[in-house]
Amino acid sequence: MIARLIVSFVYFLDACKNYKKAKSVAYDILENPKSKIKPYFDAFIIFLVLITVSILIYDIAHELPYHFEFVENLAVSIFILEWLGRFWIHDDIRLDIIKYHERMINLGLKPSLVKMCKIYFFKKIKYIFSPMSIIDLLAILPTYRPLRILRIFLIFRLLKIFRYTKSLNIFFKVLSDKKFEFNFLFLIGIFTVFLSSTIMYVFEGIGNNPNITSFLDAVYWAIITITTVGYGDITPVTFTGKIVTLFLVGGGFLILVLATSIVTNALSDKIDIVRENQLLTQAHKLNHLIAIFGFGRMGKTLADELHKNKKKFIVVDKDEENILKAKELGFMYIKADASEYETINNVVFKNDVEKVVITTDSDALNLSILLTIKAEKKDIEVIVRANNDENIKKFKIAKADHVIFPYETVAEVAVEYIGNSVKFDAIENILLQNSSIILDEINILKGSNLIGKNMVDIGMKELNITTIAILKNGHSKNYIFNPDFYTYKFEEKDTLVVIGDEENIEKIKKRISRQFA
Amino acid sequence: MIKIVLFGYSKTGREIAKLLHPDEYELNIIDENPLHVAQANEDGFFARHSTFNDDKLLNEMGIGEDAKILFCTSSNDSLNLFVTLSARNIDKNLKILTLIYKKEDEKKMLLAGANRTISPYDVGALKAFRIIDKPQVSKVLNLFSSHTNKLAISEIKIVKDSILNGVYFNDTNIFREFDLIFLGILDRELGEEFIFCSQGLNHKIDDEDVIVVLGSKMNIQNFKQKVGSK
Repeated sequence: MIARLIVSFVYFLDACKNYKKAKSVAYDILENPKSKIKPYFDAFIIFLVLITVSILIYDIAHELPYHFEFVENLAVSIFILEWLGRFWIHDDIRLDIIKYHERMINLGLKPSLVKMCKIYFFKKIKYIFSPMSIIDLLAILPTYRPLRILRIFLIFRLLKIFRYTKSLNIFFKVLSDKKFEFNFLFLIGIFTVFLSSTIMYVFEGIGNNPNITSFLDAVYWAIITITTVGYGDITPVTFTGKIVTLFLVGGGFLILVLATSIVTNALSDKIDIVRENQLLTQAHKLNHLIAIFGFGRMGKTLADELHKNKKKFIVVDKDEENILKAKELGFMYIKADASEYETINNVVFKNDVEKVVITTDSDALNLSILLTIKAEKKDIEVIVRANNDENIKKFKIAKADHVIFPYETVAEVAVEYIGNSVKFDAIENILLQNSSIILDEINILKGSNLIGKNMVDIGMKELNITTIAILKNGHSKNYIFNPDFYTYKFEEKDTLVVIGDEENIEKIKKRISRQFA
Repeated sequence: MIKIVLFGYSKTGREIAKLLHPDEYELNIIDENPLHVAQANEDGFFARHSTFNDDKLLNEMGIGEDAKILFCTSSNDSLNLFVTLSARNIDKNLKILTLIYKKEDEKKMLLAGANRTISPYDVGALKAFRIIDKPQVSKVLNLFSSHTNKLAISEIKIVKDSILNGVYFNDTNIFREFDLIFLGILDRELGEEFIFCSQGLNHKIDDEDVIVVLGSKMNIQNFKQKVGSK
């Protein structure tokens, strides 16, 4: 009975549009790295944390005015709401329950209540005990009055700030890679402290030194000495004690040097990865990205053009020299091996990549990248470079949207040079964009008031813009070559491919952009 | 019959050779690599093996004699540079088109005597860029490529007794008659620079001028007969 109620409730939620909408709004505020509200929300929470911690410090020596208490309560309520929100959006359990229910129905079994509760609690409890959730809870719990002794834990609210900074995570990750070295260092430290404090206690603890009354005093002395802090409240008095101190000071110095070098080494080893991680996070925030695989001459020229035209792109190459070039030019880059699935997953699938250009000089690698992308996401447009004419067909079979065989294209341009070479100059100027005369496209949108007008009406004749062809519905199979200035009337979804002076085309485009006016 | 010398039966060299119709052009191929020479022979071309500094062979192949054009298309910039320089040394009037792979080499090539340089990677990259930036434009340009063969670009030299001699192009309707697009003109009186009609000048067409038109192959053929170009 209860089980049936739960199931029908879950189905009701799943059908409820507002519920889903609310959840996605909550996700945008709390977790979605691409949302625009999240940074403001994060800044607000950090502000609250700083305010409440300041109040805590002020509270120690002063009597709290009434409204301070109010601020504290408000902040805690917001923290609680935030935690509940995260608890809510952490996963979509209703989908799991629906899945479970459908499976049971298909098997002809009765869905059990216990099993459903298990599904629910398993995931939620996993969330509650995740490190981030614990940090949040530590910020909330100490407010509970009977636990006033826990007030000091309010300071853990500061930890919340780290929740919003990725750098700390990365730092810990970097250090955890040097686990072996740190463990070794830690063992050496423990051993030295234990050895020297034992010797100290044996020789000075029996009345020789009034400051050392217990073994703990000896350990305290050893730690203060080994870390080169050296308060001087406990100093050795016996000859043996002094000798031990000398060794301890030397040892302490070595351990410090070693520790520093391990941290610096770890950081310098990982600094590239850290930077790339940053670039990847940057890339996550962008829409309609273009990914370029291979940053050789072709990749570089393409990147330059894209950069000039303010398109967003990311470069992938594994060659150190090429990556250095991309870095110097200030492009977004990832140094990675594109033959690995992980690279393509990180660069293409996890980002909003719209188009991919593969320009490496190895057809095998190009094909592997192409297939990896097309196997997962068919609608990404892929332009691929062929290095061998026999492979053009293979790329087409592998569903490449465009195959460029640069040697053939350049040959086509080169043979135009035979003859008077006038044609060559004309083509070269247009194709290599060397002059102010450019090829461009103008779209007639659906519902535009230009429909039915001709090219003279929009001033193309006076601006000397020639229409080479009009594509119907953007399809090259259905085109009109050399339409007449006067007799051709625009229809909706026409694309005009025109040639003319850059500035004049810009003027026409501006006029056209008001086509709904 | 125009005689052409091709140095370097590389991928680009091979593509150029494929595009040159044997009825119109006599093609002589030189390559450093015996394998390339064998490949060229297999593809049905006349090819000779040579080191890059063999001026005598260049001469035998027609440079300094009746060869009009030299394509330096080996896949090595410094070999291209050397052959460009040698050929220019033999023949001052030869047209030399040289392939470059590194941008830095362009100036060197021009200094060595190449008339034009061209880079496969730049051409390829710009093609990729056009597909991204202006997909419709690249669709139309594909109509001009040798594969589809639907449209062509052609240049026509105006002879003395042509009907276009002495005509202002704004006054003539002949391009519309033949369904051609008049792209521009090279006016010998104004220098060697190509003038696009989109620059907006009403130009007078004289003999010795070269005009460039776009259109279907048949229309271009008919047009050539009408205006009396050879």
